[in-house]
Formats: sequence, C-alpha cells, structure tokens
Amino acid sequence: MSTSASQAAPRPSSSGSSPDAPPNATRALAVPKALRRRRFSVQATVSLVFVAVVVLAAALATLIAPYNPDHVDLQNVLSGPSWAHWLGTDALGRDLLTRLMYGARTSLIGPLIVVIGSTVLGLLLGLVAAWRGGWIDAVLSRVFDFLFSFPAMLLAILAVALFGKGLFAPVLAMTIAYIPYVARLTRGLIVAERTRPYVQAYRVLGFRGSWIALRRVLPNVVPTVGAQSTLNFGYVLADLAALSFIGLGVQAPTADWGSMINESRGALMSGALLPTFVPAAVVVLVVVAINIIGEELSDRIGGNFS
Amino acid sequence: MTQLLDIADLSLRVPGRGPLLNGVSLSVAAGESVALVGESGSGKSLTTRAALGLFPERASLEGSVRVGDIDTVTASEAQLRTIRRTRASMIFQDPRAGINPVRTLGDFLTETLVRWHELSRSDAAARAVAQLEQVGLPRAASLLDQYPHQLSGGMLQRVMIAAALLDSPDLLLCDEPTTALDVTTQAGIVDLLREQQAARGMGMLFITHDLGLAASLCERVVVLRGGLVVEEGPTETVFRAPQETYTQELLAATPRIEVRAAAGESASDPAATPAETPLIAASGLTKRYRVPGRDDVTALSGVDFSLARGGSLGIVGESGSGKSTLARILVGLEQADDGELAFDGARRPDRAMSGAERRELAATTQMVFQDPYLSLDPRIAIGRAVADVVRLHRGGSRRDAESDAASLLERVGIRPDQLAARPKALSGGQRQRVALAKALAARPKLLVLDEATSALDVSVQAQVLELIEEVRDQFGLSIVFVTHDLAVVSRICSETLVMQRGEVVEYGSTARILTDPQQDYTQRLIRSRPEPLWQQAA
Repeated sequence: MSTSASQAAPRPSSSGSSPDAPPNATRALAVPKALRRRRFSVQATVSLVFVAVVVLAAALATLIAPYNPDHVDLQNVLSGPSWAHWLGTDALGRDLLTRLMYGARTSLIGPLIVVIGSTVLGLLLGLVAAWRGGWIDAVLSRVFDFLFSFPAMLLAILAVALFGKGLFAPVLAMTIAYIPYVARLTRGLIVAERTRPYVQAYRVLGFRGSWIALRRVLPNVVPTVGAQSTLNFGYVLADLAALSFIGLGVQAPTADWGSMINESRGALMSGALLPTFVPAAVVVLVVVAINIIGEELSDRIGGNFS
Repeated sequence: MTQLLDIADLSLRVPGRGPLLNGVSLSVAAGESVALVGESGSGKSLTTRAALGLFPERASLEGSVRVGDIDTVTASEAQLRTIRRTRASMIFQDPRAGINPVRTLGDFLTETLVRWHELSRSDAAARAVAQLEQVGLPRAASLLDQYPHQLSGGMLQRVMIAAALLDSPDLLLCDEPTTALDVTTQAGIVDLLREQQAARGMGMLFITHDLGLAASLCERVVVLRGGLVVEEGPTETVFRAPQETYTQELLAATPRIEVRAAAGESASDPAATPAETPLIAASGLTKRYRVPGRDDVTALSGVDFSLARGGSLGIVGESGSGKSTLARILVGLEQADDGELAFDGARRPDRAMSGAERRELAATTQMVFQDPYLSLDPRIAIGRAVADVVRLHRGGSRRDAESDAASLLERVGIRPDQLAARPKALSGGQRQRVALAKALAARPKLLVLDEATSALDVSVQAQVLELIEEVRDQFGLSIVFVTHDLAVVSRICSETLVMQRGEVVEYGSTARILTDPQQDYTQRLIRSRPEPLWQQAA
C-alpha cells in the first residue's frame, strides 16, 4: 500500500468555468476508469477461468461425475486413458477423473475454511493490537512472532496427535498458523491508517473509538488484507495436500488430491504415471492460478488504495 | 537577446485524459526571470519539465521545446543528458523528497562533479564548499559530512540550490521552490535566487501559484490555465492592468493584508475584555513531548489567551511554533500537561476524556483540518458522512438525518446530485466545503480551523474564506483560525496571537498588531511577505 504515492498523486484540478466548479464529466469518469476498468491481465483471466472450472466440477461432482468415486473395479486396474475412463484408473480400478472431481471438494473446502477463519480472526486481533496499542499490542505481537517461528506443518502434526486424523485437526492447526500473517498485515495497515487526518476528524466529531475502528477503519483495510488472504489460500491448499499425502489429513477411501498422490505412489514403479501425476499437476495448477489472482488483486488494490 | 528556452506551440496529451497542454508558447532569454503562474492542473509543472525532456509516460507531443540548439521533443537520450548536465538545472518544491536520505550532503553535491566533470574528490569537495558558502550556508565544510535529516527545510533548499548551481547552468528551472517553507525562510530563498540569477546572468523560469511571489521576483509573467497561456507580459503591466478576466479574478482572489478599522475593534484589546465569561479562557497551557534519547520538546509553554463569545482569534506562527498543538488541545485531540483551559466557564478536566465527555465536547467545539484530500474518509459518500454526524449528535431517523445533511451541504455549496459522490470525485475546494458541513452538523459554538485554506488554490481559497465568514454569521460561531498567512488573519480574525517556538510573542487586536507590531518577530513576519519588484526600494 502506498500512502505516499497517493499523496503525491496530482490533485484533481478544476477546469470548469469557475475554478471551484465540479470536475467536468470526462475527468470524473476518467479517474475511476483508469483504476477500475483496467482489464485483468491474460494470465489472471486464464487463472480465474481455470479455478472456476475446478470449483464447478467440485460442486457438481455428484451430477456430472461418470462413476462412483469409490467403485472398485479390479478388472480394470491402472488402465490408461480411454473413452470409458478419460484419465484412466488407479491401482484399485477407480475412475481417476471422478476421484479428481470428488477430491476437489475436500481439497478446496479445507483451505477455504482456513482462509476465512484466519482472515476473520487475524483482522480482529490485528485491529485490537493496533487500536489499543500499549501492552496489549506488545503481548499480541509477541504471540504472532512466536506463531511465525513455529512451522505450520509441525503445528498440524501436533494437532493430529491431539485430535486424531482427519480434516478437522489440520484445518484447526492451519487456521491458527495463518492468523499471524493476516494479523500482522492488518496491524501495520491500521497503525498507518489511524494517524491519518480522517480518523482524527472522526474523533473530533465525537464518534466512539470502537465505532471508528470497526465501522470505518477496518473496512478500509479489508481489500488489502483480502488480497493477502487469497495468496494464503494457495499455500494452505498445498500444505493440506501434503498432510493428506503423509496420511494425516483426509482418510481413505475419501478422495483427496493429496491422498490420491500417496495411494498411487507405488504404481509409479509399474510405469503408471497418470494416477500420481494428474492430482499433483492439479494441485500445482490450482496453487499457481490462485497466486496469480492474488497478486493481481493486491497490485490493483495497492495502486487504488487511498 | 539569445533565447535559452524557447517553447513553441507545445501540446501534450496522455491517452485517456484529454490534452494537458494546448499549444503553450513561452521563452526565457539570458539574464531574464520569467514567472509561470497558474493553479493546480494548469500544466505549469509539465511545461517546465518539458525543458529537461521529462515527459509523462505514453504522452503524445506536438510543437517544439528548444533549449539552445536542442529540441527536447525529438532529442536523443544523449542530447537530453547534455542539457541536464550542463545547461539547465531544476529546483523542486520539496527539498527532502529530492535527496537521498541515507547519503551525506557531500556525496550528493560532489557526485556529478566527480562523475561527469571528472574532478578529483578533493577538488569537487572544494567546489561544493565554495558553492555552499555562496548560497549563504554557514560552516559549509562541516555540512559535507551531514545527512539531510540534520538540516531544516530552508537550509536543505539552499543545499538543493547550491547543487543546481554547481553545474553552472544557463537556465534555472524552479518548481515552487518555496511553497514548502515558512514565510521568513521563503524571503531568504527568494533573495538568494534573485541575487544568483543576476550575478550569473542566468535565465530563470519560476513556477508558482503565488502571484505576490511572482511579482517580487520576475520581470515577466506567463499566466497558464488548463494547459493554455491566458496572458503574458511584463509583470507590472499584467498586475496593474490585467487584460483577461481570469487574470483579474486571480488577482482579486490573492489574499492581501487589509486592516479593517471596524467599529469597536480598535478599542477591544483582549487585555481589557469586559467581565462577561469568555467562551474560552486558557492560562498557562503547556505541552511537552517526550523524545526517546533526547531532551523533551516543549511544544507549548505557558500560553494564555481568551476568546469572547462570537469572537474570532487568529493564531499565527511558522512551523514548530506550537500553533497546531494548541488547536489540537482546544478540540481535545491532545491533553495539555499543565495549565487550565475553561470552556464557557467550565474547566476542562486534566485527564483523558471519556467517550461521553468527548461527545459533549464535540457538540461545542469542531475543527476543519488542513488537507481536505486526507481528512475525508475515502470510502464514505459525502451525504452519508454528514448524515452520520447529524445522527450522532441529534439522533432521529436515518431519513431525517439525510435530509438535514442534504440541506447543510447545499448551504455550503454542494449540489444535491453530488450527495452520493465519494471524496475522490470532488475538487479540493468542494472537499473542504464537505469538511465544513461535517463540522457544522454537530452544531458547534466554536470552530477551529487548522490551516483550513492553505492547501487550496488561491481562487478557491477566496471562496472558502467567504463561505467561512457567511456561516460564522449565520450560525453565530466563534472562530479560532490557525494559519501562517497574515492575510487570512486580517480578513477573518479580530484578534491575533503570534506564536514562536511554543511561546506567545504578541497578542492583541489584529488591526493593532498589523499596523503597529511591537515585537521583532512580528515585524519580521509582516515584512517577509513578498513585495512587488516595482514597489521595492531601488
């Protein structure tokens, strides 16, 4: 976020008949146009379409998937792509495309919960730290520092040891692990924001501090924080897939991209590439696509925020 | 006479935003100083930068900009570098923004000499010292080891001027070099520029929005508006007999010190105010700031004053005088460490205020901030911003508040169809009107204006001042106007408090202070206002 850049930006001038006349229509349109109507870049558009397709496939899996994801067909193990099985089958003869679509559900819902949870909690904790300052800020900031230095994976493994395998423990652990990323950014933005004259103007006008913080300052930093959270989504997705891969996340036979890679690992030796390669590629592509979207969002908001 | 700079029919457009310059022509000869006057958005900076070949990205250009025999519109990078290194130098508005804060002044000053003029380091340092002495900086040799943050704004601007002169340019381009400086500092810089320009026979192009400054420095003036040259001629002719309406308006809007001998004012020296309880009574206000690792900074020390109901007080001073701190204490953004502040006879508590007390204070005391570009919430439509204040202080339904807000905004000159606009879509003057409407929505008795017009263009400034006078009479407000500009005080305020380094230098009726200042500092403040060349003693 570049507050200094926004200050240095040329001030809208007046060119109407009276010097204090409203900016004329073309200028009033021109400024937002430059910021808002700028098209998404090609790579961001492609990413957006790709993510939309994946999400649709996950949402409509029960309707459009050609097979039952758990239907074992031992007659047809590790078959290559065919008209019956577009992407082939895995070591138990299950249809790969079907499992990929069902796997998208667990693989996407986990990161989604983590991102929403860590964003909401991070925004609130960051706001409290920045707004209250003093010892509250000091304590919270040290807690964030501690969480930062603690690997997210380790925290997830600890949580699994505590709560057992499955989606719940890793999601809880990841939510906690990602709070500091959001909270620190929020804190920084709000510390900068609260010294700005418009916040002081609210104080002078007699508004309560909590109202100013929650209703006016927080919404002004949400777009920037949201862009960061989008980026987090990609990292969390990869982390959760990794946990499933090592067998701590989603449990068999439920389809999940991470566990799919793990289950088919052995088949690599017999030359069947697709059962591991396809889910791995999907994980990579989704992470890359979401990162591209996140970068694009933060670029725009960075230039737009004032 | 040789033309150092000859801009002919220069048009510049950037895709998506109409033409920014529309056939601008102007020239600067050797030994001549030309003022380029205009309000924000007039294209004066663009025109000046064109002389160095600094054009906005993706700009399409027509016409020519000749510096000597090179046309910067068509010149190669190498030719542009020649111009920038040897022929023309530029001085910018904010000296702090134009200098690398982590390197010493010595590095900054000698870099070009060593790299392009191939001087040895010691020769370069000697030249730099000589140049620093020439621009009036004491202890020049020790300055070379100092960092930019160790110098005041005025000193740093002198360093920038020295740097510009080191290349011995024929042409000096000045982009509002004194706007960021205090008036007394400005006077020194203006003297220095005039002296150097005359001694070296340089041509000078001086950009400013301040007509008084242009008149005090330049023989010729070019008035620019919306990328068009409106009027051009010898300064005295243009000022005495402006031909174009716009120039006439601009001149009329330029603030002047006018001593009003209004009835009753001459007699009312605040020391002899009647026994009625004053609206504000301050005695011994003191504020210190703790700076880690250094001595405390005393922002205010022992300030006494009082303001009668319906009165108007101007607080005048330069940066660091404590005038803004005083304003912030009045509206409760800061607490005084010492002293008493009574409002309407009721003493304000020393401790930090509770939410309810703050709201009570808000209903009596309001403030308009300096920069309307920063003091409005960018996300909130202006109609809603004002309605929120109405509801906070008077309750009622959202609909009632919105109609109150609409009529208040109309009162300050904002059309009803603009209620849904965000601040971004408004001009500076309009934003300041909205800020004023927000303050009025609390129905205060006292309005504190902190440099409320200094970020605005002159013509807009005149309109906003007029509006402030109108609403003062209509709402029966008392006014505290914090400013560096004596002309504003002379217009709005019946009493004046002159401050320097946190202390009150002089306090009395405005007419008395302006006509018969007792203190050296006050005299210097009044004297440092720029005076037209033709009125200066020859």
